[in-house]
Amino acid sequence: MSDWPQIRPSGDSAVLVEFEDRIDPEISRKVRALALTIESESSQEIQEVLPAYRTLMVTYDPLAIEYRKLMEKIHHWIEKAGSIALPPPRLFRLPTVYGGVYGPDLVRVAEIVRLSQEEVIRTFSATHFMVYFIGFICGLAYLGGLPPALRVPRLATPRTLVPAGSVGLAGGQANAVTTDQPSGFNYIGRTFVNLYDPRIFPPISFVSGDEIVFVAVPEEEAVPARGRKAADFL
Amino acid sequence: MRAFEVVHPGIQTTIQDLGRTGFMKYGTPASGAADRFSARVANWLVGNPAGAAVLEITLFRLDLLARNDLVIAITGGDLLPTVSGNSLPMWQTASIQKGERVLFRARRRGLRAYLAVKGGFQGPLFLGSRSVFVRGLMGDCLRAGDLLEVENPREISVPLRSLPPEMIPSISASDPLRVILGPQEDRFTPRGIDTFLSSEYRVSSQSDRMGYRLEGPRIEHWRGADIISEPLARGAIQVPGDGLPILLLWDAQVSGGYTKIANLISADLDRLAQVMPGESLRFKAVTLEEAHQILRKEKSYWESVRQALGGQG
Repeated sequence: MSDWPQIRPSGDSAVLVEFEDRIDPEISRKVRALALTIESESSQEIQEVLPAYRTLMVTYDPLAIEYRKLMEKIHHWIEKAGSIALPPPRLFRLPTVYGGVYGPDLVRVAEIVRLSQEEVIRTFSATHFMVYFIGFICGLAYLGGLPPALRVPRLATPRTLVPAGSVGLAGGQANAVTTDQPSGFNYIGRTFVNLYDPRIFPPISFVSGDEIVFVAVPEEEAVPARGRKAADFL
Repeated sequence: MRAFEVVHPGIQTTIQDLGRTGFMKYGTPASGAADRFSARVANWLVGNPAGAAVLEITLFRLDLLARNDLVIAITGGDLLPTVSGNSLPMWQTASIQKGERVLFRARRRGLRAYLAVKGGFQGPLFLGSRSVFVRGLMGDCLRAGDLLEVENPREISVPLRSLPPEMIPSISASDPLRVILGPQEDRFTPRGIDTFLSSEYRVSSQSDRMGYRLEGPRIEHWRGADIISEPLARGAIQVPGDGLPILLLWDAQVSGGYTKIANLISADLDRLAQVMPGESLRFKAVTLEEAHQILRKEKSYWESVRQALGGQG
């Protein structure tokens, strides 16, 4: 009998359901199955259902449901989640221009991992990255699946401003920043696809479980994607 | 209908309502008025629903020129509001004439004031809310020359109301803020937990609507400060490797990878909104049951205020 999942309160209006303590696609599937189960129940007292790598946060209105009742419901949902079918992942193919002004860290990344720049691009752009969840700020997708050959550390001094659409890697993870922001990742390319737009719903196109490929294209093919949303590249 | 012209935008003034719920899974925090109670009362005083858009005013110097006859109310922190040079009583309905100037002169108590106008302020809707969240590309702070419009101008008159003095919340930083320990209290040494609960922490100048950074005794971790990134509840208190706590608030990131020693109880979030950088805080642990009891009491107090003002929503 497994010790997981465990449930613990996170303040007076949220609980965390915790699965095995590691980043793993199989654990992510359990998290997503539970999220889908709870969402499909559309329970009035539940406000937000937030999947992450190995945790699911459920926020609730403590005046609408007693904590003990909430625990009963969550245990019931955990049981039910075992038999739910997950939707197949969607594959986004985002045109990305690598290197040069768009990938200021490509040369350094190639040196660290002892590959040519072309090999770094080939390896990275062939990877099907899995969206574990959406979080941080402005809809940042936490991506898994970076090949071990591309492990590089974060920058010793983060950049104060990285342009939206920058595609990068650090510490075994990859990401594409959704707005201009500070970052300590190594950026090797840029997509001009608009990854985040709060004027529309949903503000970002990806959901947990989706897959993304950062397809290598020349600049003249990447730039025309400017302003288009990721859902146009399914 | 035009409400105000911004003569001076003050230090930081934004349009806020009660925020957006349900978008954290898209990486979007709730935002909204930092002091929810004060924003609600301001709206009730002018006959608006509780969730109409108001101005959130930080510190002083905001200077507004009325472009029409208006019914307004100011609540929250006392930033010495005046109309045409005369002090404008807070926590009550006020009529002002076209051409008059509303000025926030100096901070007397608290940090954030709320100004509601009858009909609510207009502002672009993002994901169902008018709350400005600059970092998320949802609107901007007021600038000099901005023209503020009324969302829903109505001719019906509003009775002049005031909140009974005994119902006005007292603003005091000396009462400890109440927290529930966890969710990673097991990642701190007993000494670390004790440091957190027995020390005074100063709110750093690097504090804003995203979070309050605290300065004071360093909190000792057990087995490091990092965890696999997970969602963050509002009021979470994370402690990175330097041992100094960060309180996460209305515009904070929705996920993070630092251990969290505790979480502020919901009923104390409004009070925190009135704590100024440079002031000191203390924390006191309560149980989950106690927190829920406190919240029930708080909500019934809100309800009695709503009834006293004949408020809606």
